[in-house]
Amino acid sequence: MALELNDYNSKYTPTWCPGCGNFGIHVALKKALMELNVHPSETFISFDIGCNGNGADTVGTYAFKTLHGRSIPVAIGAHLANRKFTVIADIGDGGCYHEGLDHIVNAIKSNYDITILIHNNMNFALTTGQATVTTPVGKKMYALPKGKPERDLDTNAFLMSLKPTFFAKGYSGDLPLLTEIIKKAIQHKGCSIVDISQLCPTYNKECNPEWFNNNIIKIDSLENYSNKSIDDANDLVKEMAKTKKIYTGIIYMNDSVPTFYDNLDSRKGIISEISEEVKEYNIKDLLKYCN
Amino acid sequence: MNSNRLAVKFGGASGQGINTAGRMLTQSINRTGLYTFSTREYPSLIKGGIASYQVDVSNKEIFSSKRKYQILCTMSEASFHKYLPNLSENGVIIHDGEEMELTPEEEIHIQKNNLHIVYLHSEKIALENGGTEIMGNAVLLGFIWKLLKQDPQILVEEVLEMLSGKDIDTEAETKCLLAGYNHPLYREELSHGIQLPTSAGTHRSLLITGNEAIALGALAAGMRAFYGYPMTPATSIFKFLGDTAHQSKIVIKQAENEITAALMSMGSMYMGTRALTATSGGGFDLMIETISCCGMSETPLVVVLAQRIGSGTGVPTWTGSGDLYTAVKGGHGDFPRCVISVSDATSCFSLIQKAFNIAEKFQLPVILLSEKQIAESIYSVEKLPRVEKIDRNIVSSSKRYEITDSGISPRWIPTKGLQPYIHTSDEHTEDGHSTEEEVEVKAMSDKRLRKVLSLKNEIPEPTLYGNPSSETVFIGYGSTKNALLDTIQLNENISYLHFDYIYPLKADKVQHLLDDGKRVILLESNQDGQFGKLLAEETGIKLKEQYFKYDGRAFSVDDILDYLNR
Repeated sequence: MALELNDYNSKYTPTWCPGCGNFGIHVALKKALMELNVHPSETFISFDIGCNGNGADTVGTYAFKTLHGRSIPVAIGAHLANRKFTVIADIGDGGCYHEGLDHIVNAIKSNYDITILIHNNMNFALTTGQATVTTPVGKKMYALPKGKPERDLDTNAFLMSLKPTFFAKGYSGDLPLLTEIIKKAIQHKGCSIVDISQLCPTYNKECNPEWFNNNIIKIDSLENYSNKSIDDANDLVKEMAKTKKIYTGIIYMNDSVPTFYDNLDSRKGIISEISEEVKEYNIKDLLKYCN
Repeated sequence: MNSNRLAVKFGGASGQGINTAGRMLTQSINRTGLYTFSTREYPSLIKGGIASYQVDVSNKEIFSSKRKYQILCTMSEASFHKYLPNLSENGVIIHDGEEMELTPEEEIHIQKNNLHIVYLHSEKIALENGGTEIMGNAVLLGFIWKLLKQDPQILVEEVLEMLSGKDIDTEAETKCLLAGYNHPLYREELSHGIQLPTSAGTHRSLLITGNEAIALGALAAGMRAFYGYPMTPATSIFKFLGDTAHQSKIVIKQAENEITAALMSMGSMYMGTRALTATSGGGFDLMIETISCCGMSETPLVVVLAQRIGSGTGVPTWTGSGDLYTAVKGGHGDFPRCVISVSDATSCFSLIQKAFNIAEKFQLPVILLSEKQIAESIYSVEKLPRVEKIDRNIVSSSKRYEITDSGISPRWIPTKGLQPYIHTSDEHTEDGHSTEEEVEVKAMSDKRLRKVLSLKNEIPEPTLYGNPSSETVFIGYGSTKNALLDTIQLNENISYLHFDYIYPLKADKVQHLLDDGKRVILLESNQDGQFGKLLAEETGIKLKEQYFKYDGRAFSVDDILDYLNR
């Protein structure tokens, strides 16, 4: 029986503000899973705490609403336990670039075969609009009437510096492209990072659909751009920093880097998953390693 | 001195090879059919300082070091001065090096106690016998073996077996062992104060540290992933599992920090495997948010908390049990948990298996408390206990958080084709949807709390060791048991009530002891008397007589005997 979008929904409706970008991101994710024919019962989504995390209630897949900034390592633990599952880590820009910054660094370095979706609404929204590293300098925020007293983090350059094997940027208002990106991210064997610019009509009113339409350039429209070229990718990231334009599409992908699991010596040649291996283990042959 | 015990202590700087010498002696003595207990003391640095390795020997199973030793072998001047005072009467000190200048106090001490000093330049002797400088240890071992009046063949066989597969000139090694054994500085009178207990037979015990026993127990229990991050004294669990992963085929991962190690474990446990992480106090603090999350989301988790002494960085390579409160209380919100305390290698092996069964059956975090003294000491164990049956309580259903009388809801392994479910750190309804409704919040909180009551019904009572009719009863947990079991061998007028299970706490037996008018003494390796406070909180019982030790050293037989003789 063919899968339908509704198969990925729970019976609960979302609680996001009208016009929230999370609607679009969720539809794109569910559509991507459906089009790839990944069944909800072979999908695991790990959620952050924040507006994006409130999406946990709405999915019909296996899921874990974890802790603020911590969805990535929980996704990794689940992935290592059973690689038959498609594993997604959902996280906000606050959780990803603030509370749990070390996790994305190490996930990229280790190249686990998971997909990380960063819901980048340029603020901490669920706590009513505090500044994040992606909030523009000068923008008035919660407890910061004159804006944040520090510089932004160039998250694109930062992520590229980590040599990701898949890095894409999407926009919550461009469902067809976002769906395609997420499909490619899931299909990529390795750690896929998708930084998604999303609408936040409550705390980021300036960046409305019109603003995004004026500031987004699709990578597909670029001539002679190769997302297999690290030089092209680095040049594009510099261009983004210079022009403040958002380029959406797959910035870089490299299929030649082995995943963490591929490199695990102890698991070479083993077909089963460790979630299937919980049984009494005879330790007799290990006693010689004692003392 | 009790004649069925003897101890040999090696002292030197870290990096001088005292661990190798200590291990070789332990294993060689073990080959004679005797039981040993070996423990290392070392500073938190790589080269230098003063470190020791003490091998206690008996013809019965023993679990702790005596304060005094009959043979002291020192490889540095600093260790000579430090360890000389506890050399017992008629003891022998073998100093590896030139003759030293002694303080007047030391001269008096040596004379008064009839101590013998032998200066043995081991490196020189090793080189003369075709060995390398590092084989000086073999010379010292040979000499000690002679003092113990043991068959040199046993020593040679054992040492060569230990070195097999290593790039070592075995002929030279043998010559060095025998050069020490036959050294002309040996004279009969040196052995007068030294008597190795008579061996009970020819069996060989398994020599195993607490950490190795935890690693093996976890493997036996079907643990398939270990997430580590280095922190003394937990690190050697990681080492054992890493070194044997080619055989056990587990997933082994050094996480970026303890926060991550705990989260990865939680993710793996959700997905249906058995995963483990291990740390010490500071790392455990970082894991506490995840432990609280496991409490709310009812995700099984097993964490080994191998304690050292002190807050902050504390005294990183020394023992204590001051983390009991953080294990029992750490974490925000009310949530059920289980805290189990290991005491020796066999309990490490069994209780880690229990920990996994409890974590999965009751769907809660289990903290296995250990101590540096247990984690790194080498126990001689006749045979490891029988492996526990794996009990996972996997039940397929539709409501993951179904409200039940026992508090235990159905949990099934995420599997294609089965009903998907969510685990959540939000308060939630029976189907995992987050809720803020007062009735639902209370109902789910009550359900979770009922798991503690269900668990309490299942865990065993504390165990009484020694003479049940004795008037004096000590109470304790963790490594305290080791000193007490050894004391009971010497003193029939005491008994010891030992707690493996710290939380939930089953303490009716304590009340019975008080009702019977016994003298009850609480022993703890921390400053606060944390177990005593927990006991008071859970039962209202306040134990008035207390003996706390928090200097980084484990309780010894001598401490207990001194206490009784006060």
